[in-house]
Amino acid sequence: MADAASGSTERSVQVKLVLLGEAAVGKSSIVLRFVSNEFQPNKEPTIGAAFLTQKCRLEDRVLRYEIWDTAGQERFHSLAPMYYRNAQAAVVVYDVTKASSLEKAKTWVKELQRQANPNIVIALAGNKIDLVTPSASSSTPESEDEADDATATPGETGTSGEPESLRQVPRDEAEAYAQEAGLLFFETSAKTGEGVVEIFTEIAKKIPIDQILASTRGGQRPGAASGRAAQEGGVNLEENNAKGKDACNC
Amino acid sequence: MDFDVVVLGTGLSESVAAAALSKAGYKVAHVDTNQYYGGDEASLTVEELAEWADARASDDPSSDYLANQRARYTSITRSQTIPPQSRQYSVSLAPSIVPSIGPHIDSLIASGVSRYGQFKLLEKVAVYDRPGYVQSVPGSKEDVFKSKALSLLDKRRLMRFLMFAAGDFEGKKELEGKEQTPFVQYLQDVFSLKDQATSAIAYALAFCTSAEEPTLPAMQRIRQYLRSAGRYGASPFLVGHYGGLGETAQGFCRTSAVKGGTYILGRRVVSVESSPDDSTKDEKSTSTSHSYSVKLIDFDERLTAKVLVSSPDYVPTSLGGNTSTSKQSAYAVARCVAIIDKPLVFTPSEVPEDTPSTDTDGPTDGPEDEPSEKPEPPSYDVDTALLVFPPGCLQNGSTTTAVHALVTGEGSMSAPRGRYIVNISLSLSESTLSSSAEELLRPYLEAALSLTAPPSSSSVTSPATSLFSLFYIHHTPAAVSSAPPSSSSSVIVTPPSRPHLPTIADEATEHAEAMFWTAVKQLKAAGVQRTVPKEEAEEGDASVEKAGTEDTSPDIDSFWPPLDAVEDETSDEW
Repeated sequence: MADAASGSTERSVQVKLVLLGEAAVGKSSIVLRFVSNEFQPNKEPTIGAAFLTQKCRLEDRVLRYEIWDTAGQERFHSLAPMYYRNAQAAVVVYDVTKASSLEKAKTWVKELQRQANPNIVIALAGNKIDLVTPSASSSTPESEDEADDATATPGETGTSGEPESLRQVPRDEAEAYAQEAGLLFFETSAKTGEGVVEIFTEIAKKIPIDQILASTRGGQRPGAASGRAAQEGGVNLEENNAKGKDACNC
Repeated sequence: MDFDVVVLGTGLSESVAAAALSKAGYKVAHVDTNQYYGGDEASLTVEELAEWADARASDDPSSDYLANQRARYTSITRSQTIPPQSRQYSVSLAPSIVPSIGPHIDSLIASGVSRYGQFKLLEKVAVYDRPGYVQSVPGSKEDVFKSKALSLLDKRRLMRFLMFAAGDFEGKKELEGKEQTPFVQYLQDVFSLKDQATSAIAYALAFCTSAEEPTLPAMQRIRQYLRSAGRYGASPFLVGHYGGLGETAQGFCRTSAVKGGTYILGRRVVSVESSPDDSTKDEKSTSTSHSYSVKLIDFDERLTAKVLVSSPDYVPTSLGGNTSTSKQSAYAVARCVAIIDKPLVFTPSEVPEDTPSTDTDGPTDGPEDEPSEKPEPPSYDVDTALLVFPPGCLQNGSTTTAVHALVTGEGSMSAPRGRYIVNISLSLSESTLSSSAEELLRPYLEAALSLTAPPSSSSVTSPATSLFSLFYIHHTPAAVSSAPPSSSSSVIVTPPSRPHLPTIADEATEHAEAMFWTAVKQLKAAGVQRTVPKEEAEEGDASVEKAGTEDTSPDIDSFWPPLDAVEDETSDEW
């Protein structure tokens, strides 16, 4: 909608956000919902991108999320240290219809606290609430799985059945845990879009933007964006090669 | 679990090959027995490094892999205390400086892996002179102009050499017939260069390890480096953040994963077998496509594939990979990793032999600051730099071999603030193999530390303390003597890369490309269809035609396919 004010790129802050969570909880779907929302309906992101980028406007600031998917490397506990490096935000996803996925989410939170930047903003997202909300429109329960990417284990959603009985993780329980662990908390549906954008805007509010701006300008980046923040002597390899490729043809 | 290719080991070559195979549309499983990525090129925290060393120093080989590793890493000694903030260090097992132009950088960009990592220019290369002092290296025309140490005559000779080295010298009369001449002698004979200049060129520009190295390869390296200068900055070399190649390997692995590769780390390989359905063991039998089966510990399903790519340390002798793991090593390098708490200060020791600033007739492009200003600061704190010790420069050091010490600090994200990693390497010849790594390298570490208490500073300063040190000898297996496996029946074993600072990244990448093509050939011979991503087929007009007319996947025509639209995406507006 809003045309990007041409000067805003100067002020935009790049934020690396990593996704974590058990296979098939809908990590990729949440990102797809967020990134390829109605604004570019014909532009389905390709399966398996290095990472997806999405701008998020917050009052006078623009955050540019660089969203990293696990690419399936979490499956056999083989995520590289590189994955966590400089991440300023993380979304840990579980499936409200699968109790074990919350337990898994808790171990990911611990892993983040061990491996990642100590100031990382973590959000916990209970996905697939469309399967448990009473008013769930009974249309195409498989659509979410279709949106999922190749990294996901194929659909094991408990299709059909009584919506209420599908819920295995009470909202209260997860919320209490999130509060205790100092996490943002959401229940989401990548399928309907409920709660998805909120995750990213709420994270944006908690990111210490001024600090990042100050530190990147000062040439020091203690755990700052992995992106193009030019640090003294730092080199961006694409710089001399990206020329001539126009970014967007719309 | 069925795959097209199983790759064993996540060293740089295997990781690059895995990324390329996944991008080409093959189904790849990538396995490492270690908990970390990078194999012999890994970047480790200090704690991990200590564990790594202890596992190789102990004499209880708990696996074939470790037994092989133990044969290749010997004479290991380390200090006992692990410094605090261990996790903030990235110590490279294979320190490297990457030329800005070359196969490695090409692959980083073409594969899109470059966006995962960052690099820093190598700030400085200097030659050790005497305790507290270095000589700067005339690595460019500008340096030569600025140098106060060189006489006008020497400057002219050096300029002539640099011009020659940057050009197409093959077949020129200056070089003809002298391609195999020892390089130092060549520089003296043909370009009349003096000792100090020849030593700087041979050891700090061409990165020779001895005076005996032949001229042609040395000249080719210098040309590559001279041409690399200016692409990203004044220095021809890049140093990867977070420990260099280990981080880069992770980037290639992620790229493979993004394209569907399956990653399994930290699981010991129990067995690697040719699958039983293979009727004959005769490797010459045509068109019998082999099938491999890999059993991992605590992993119920075997991994099966038509093609096996493997680091030498994983290949069982039964599968014929052992030629490269035989005990005789082609190269051995004594290494020292030390963590110190003060920066090295490069204080030039140049004594002008000629009236300075007489060279104003030379340069035309920067006259305003020529006459009065000092061209260089008297001393220079370095964060990411290379210190070169020519043969014979230390009394108790090697008289025949040059030693290279790479220093990396906070600027390359490999150490916390105020801490520096010194990575010293000394190529070994037969005669030195009897000494321990620590005996060989301790003098060099002391000499490097002498630079941390600069003589220029007015107050008496004490040199840096070594907070941690590790010494070892790294043996590189001899290259596979036979021709690379061309039949469709062999395990593709990673050829060893010479563990040499400026060449290892390029060599490992070249090996990866060679393995990639061999694997593609074998996969084709085995009738494996690759999955061509839709986007690739729809991308250009040409490929649409191909995809439309043929049922089979189009031939692979490049190591790296064009980057996907989304991979190339940089500006989503919202």
